[in-house]
Amino acid sequence: MDWDWVFAAEIIPTLLDGVVITIQATLLGSAVAMVVGMFFAILRRSRNVFVSKPVGFFIDFVRGTPLLVQLYFLFYILPDIGILLSPLVAGVIGLGLHYGTYTSEVYRAGIDNVPSGQWEAAKAANLTMPQTWCHVILPQAIPPMIPVLANYIVSMFKETPLLAAITVLELMNQARSLANFHYRYLEPMTLVGVFFLIISVFSVVLLRWLENRFKRVG
Amino acid sequence: MTRLMTTFRSILPTAAVAAVLVTSLGGVSDVRAEGDLERLKEQGFARIAIANEPPWTEVKSDGKVTGAAPEVARAVLKRLGVGDVVASISEYGAMIPGIQAKRFDMVAAGLFIKPERCNAVLFSEPDLCDAESFAVKKGNPLGVKSFEAIAASESAKVGVVGGGTEEKLALGAGVPRERVVVVPDPQSGLKMLQDGRIDVYALPVLSISDLLKKANDPGLEMFAPVENTPIFCAGVAFPKGAGALRDSYDKVLAEMKSSGEFAKIVEPFGYSAEAASLTSREKLCGGPN
Repeated sequence: MDWDWVFAAEIIPTLLDGVVITIQATLLGSAVAMVVGMFFAILRRSRNVFVSKPVGFFIDFVRGTPLLVQLYFLFYILPDIGILLSPLVAGVIGLGLHYGTYTSEVYRAGIDNVPSGQWEAAKAANLTMPQTWCHVILPQAIPPMIPVLANYIVSMFKETPLLAAITVLELMNQARSLANFHYRYLEPMTLVGVFFLIISVFSVVLLRWLENRFKRVG
Repeated sequence: MTRLMTTFRSILPTAAVAAVLVTSLGGVSDVRAEGDLERLKEQGFARIAIANEPPWTEVKSDGKVTGAAPEVARAVLKRLGVGDVVASISEYGAMIPGIQAKRFDMVAAGLFIKPERCNAVLFSEPDLCDAESFAVKKGNPLGVKSFEAIAASESAKVGVVGGGTEEKLALGAGVPRERVVVVPDPQSGLKMLQDGRIDVYALPVLSISDLLKKANDPGLEMFAPVENTPIFCAGVAFPKGAGALRDSYDKVLAEMKSSGEFAKIVEPFGYSAEAASLTSREKLCGGPN
């Protein structure tokens, strides 16, 4: 166990390449999760059982199966039916869909928390359904959700090493490949931990700030 | 927090003992080495690292460990009085760190003997030799016959095993990192070739032929031998300091080679017993090991 600073310095540029991919995957994955989650939540509330039931089943199915299995499915099985996704795209869809089902529950809780009087008032004011959602319900529902959604983003960020299984060269995979090449695990793995910690701490601060800002507006 | 502290406290003595062991290792390594074989005999088995890449190493569906490398190791160890081998599957790149961390007693996975590896571990005399090959789509549409040709091509992607010989050959020939795809295992590599995610899958000849035979896909073929690559020979790897164990292993291996018993083990797997005798560890390491 002797820490080699020269080796550590040598591998940092390669690891930084991995950091970039990790951040890309997290940001894109979060964007997908936020949007998809919103649609899931709204569709699940639909009064049409042919919409709400299948969507509910799909959400429970995705939430109840491991992300790793879903990634394998997207990457290795979809090509059999002619859908060939690049590793990063498959990873972003996997992360986005998986976390989308979590965020949909957050949205649902947020929406359910809007007092029913607001719905009735919107109806009384003769607002259409899209108008009710965009101007009445969501602006009230979203601010309390922000801390919970933020938590899921940080949690997704920490799950990105799973993408190594579908050959995305993110931070963990870069580190593994360096370790494999140089027969040393100490420096690459320690640095992976350090990078993840720095980014996590930084994003938590950023998300706190977001949370405070929206509180003031709301 | 209190629980964390307790955990810390319980780890502390172990860490201290480990530190003492590590620092004293330099002085007593010979004594320890003498004990390696005794220890294996006593526990009745040796822990080996394998890779599950037939015909080098293979775990059958019933869990039985076979393949040329474990079978040779098993036969040699039996003669040394060690009853059996207990195998754990590992990535190639993790084998040398694993042996340094004493997770296994030896690596019997067909690890090629190469100078940089000789710096890290002790090798037995060579046992299994093979040339490099490419699995490609039928007719080799990109016409690649060497790693240099992959590097020169605009977009050809090559699949390799992480930490394996082919990864180093590809990077060494100048293929950019983003076109050297590390595949998790041979089956995934084959699937990625079929799906067009990679254009070339590089592995030794016997591995590719085994893989293609099992895949039974008329759309794939093998190109071998890869131009500008030598024939590689593998040996069993031991941790540094296990010199005595390695020497006893070598002695038995040499006996088995001259008695013809070695050929009986490796030839059914498709290896040439003769190829291993044409070279030596010293030649492959580029010096004593």
